[in-house]
Amino acid sequence: MNDNYHVFTDGRLERHNDTIRLVTEDGEKKYLPIENAEALFLHGQIDYNTRLVSFLNDVGVAIHVFGWNDYYAGSIMPERGQTSGQTLVEQVRAYDDSTRRRAIARQFIEGSIHNMRANVKYYDDRGYDFDAIIDRLEAQAESLSDEMDTNELMGVEATARKAYYSIFDDVLPDGFDFGGRQYNPPDNEVNSLISFGNSLVYANVVSAIRATALDPAVSFLHEPGERRYSLALDIADLFKPLLADRIIFRVVNRNQLQLDDFESDLNGCLLNENGRKTFSKAFEESLEQTVDHPRLNRKVSYQYLLRVEVYKLKKHLLTGEEYVPFKRWW
Amino acid sequence: MTESRTDNSEDPVEKLLRSARDEAVNDPFHVTGVMMQYYEVCERELWFASRHLEIDRDNTAVVRGTQVDESAYDDKRRNVSIDGTIAIDVLDDGRVMEVKPSSSLIKPAKLQLLYYLWYLDQVVGVEREGVLAHPTERKRETVALTDENTRWVEEAIRGIYDVTTSDSPPPAEEKPFCESCAYHDFCWSC
Repeated sequence: MNDNYHVFTDGRLERHNDTIRLVTEDGEKKYLPIENAEALFLHGQIDYNTRLVSFLNDVGVAIHVFGWNDYYAGSIMPERGQTSGQTLVEQVRAYDDSTRRRAIARQFIEGSIHNMRANVKYYDDRGYDFDAIIDRLEAQAESLSDEMDTNELMGVEATARKAYYSIFDDVLPDGFDFGGRQYNPPDNEVNSLISFGNSLVYANVVSAIRATALDPAVSFLHEPGERRYSLALDIADLFKPLLADRIIFRVVNRNQLQLDDFESDLNGCLLNENGRKTFSKAFEESLEQTVDHPRLNRKVSYQYLLRVEVYKLKKHLLTGEEYVPFKRWW
Repeated sequence: MTESRTDNSEDPVEKLLRSARDEAVNDPFHVTGVMMQYYEVCERELWFASRHLEIDRDNTAVVRGTQVDESAYDDKRRNVSIDGTIAIDVLDDGRVMEVKPSSSLIKPAKLQLLYYLWYLDQVVGVEREGVLAHPTERKRETVALTDENTRWVEEAIRGIYDVTTSDSPPPAEEKPFCESCAYHDFCWSC
């Protein structure tokens, strides 16, 4: 019950008896095994009707829509199975208490820096000399304090991320020139991969949050947004190095993605359909990868780690037990 | 749970009886049958349940328990709800029955059944015998409200009061049932 299905072509999604089928523009029909699905990711221009939405609601499957420039455009979530007024009250209380809010926000940054460092360390151990970057990341982690407000914390994160991104040009092959983060729109292949990878992480976090009674709009590090699910932004940051960046390095360094998998125009650079397929496939494979979880005492998938993270936060909010952010431990 | 209540606070057993007999009590204290089970199995689970934390509906043990409860002895029992607080199954002969999918959690099931008998006796004013049944093992056991069992129920009521009115749950404790608990991942995530 945790497979994501990505649709890249244009066409029409419809309910057909008790399953979902995709009718492409040339009339080809494909059936999606909905009983195993967690969410559908729509990347192409897709028509659908309310009958489809009702059916997906019945089977508890979400739709995540990606629009122009591969940006996340929104979700159609199943009606909430989980609601808990008490959970929401505690979540808002923690947000409203600046001491508690800072403590949680700080944990998100600490985890993010740790996970960036894990990626840098991985390549440092494989022939690159990234000692200076590791030092810079550690210095940022050590500079964190409980007195910092969210703006200061964001500043620490930005400095760390800048140092972290500086390894991309070394690790990626010639032709994949990064030169720093640009979005709105991404200006080169690497930036377009980061944008696409990050939005896939984000959408999966949205699903994970919705599986609990936490409200996705009440966040701690990011300001609660009017339109975006800002709690998903908070949590996604922890997982971007593991779920997005490592896949970027892998697919590019293994030549699974090449420069002709992108299309550039005046408006920036984007993956083409084939590139998106390749990347999404690698991304889904990564979500299914498992790791021994020492506390849960079993193997869990990377995707389930997102759910566990939401549980941890919720548990902290409701019980006061310490929230320890996801820090890659393997 | 070791902290004693302040002198002016009421004994939870009295508090429960007053709110069960008199709808107008401020801050009523209710105990459901399943709270008795949770208390006996795991106080942390009781605390989570008292905060209406969602359980994992896909958990196999939860699915199995619901199925056994819904299908067993269907023709010979009637489900009766009393005061909107407790829901009991009454057999044709008037005995109260509690059905459990397995005998591994016998003590909690027994405490739950005893609580129903205690409630019927103390609140409704009828004395009944109980039957603890394990349909999958074709076993039945008769349960009666002895003095000792009454003390067990009343101590559990006090314990439940302490756990559910506490601001934080008791710490996680590894128990043989942890793996099949619907709160497992929530409880042990860290």
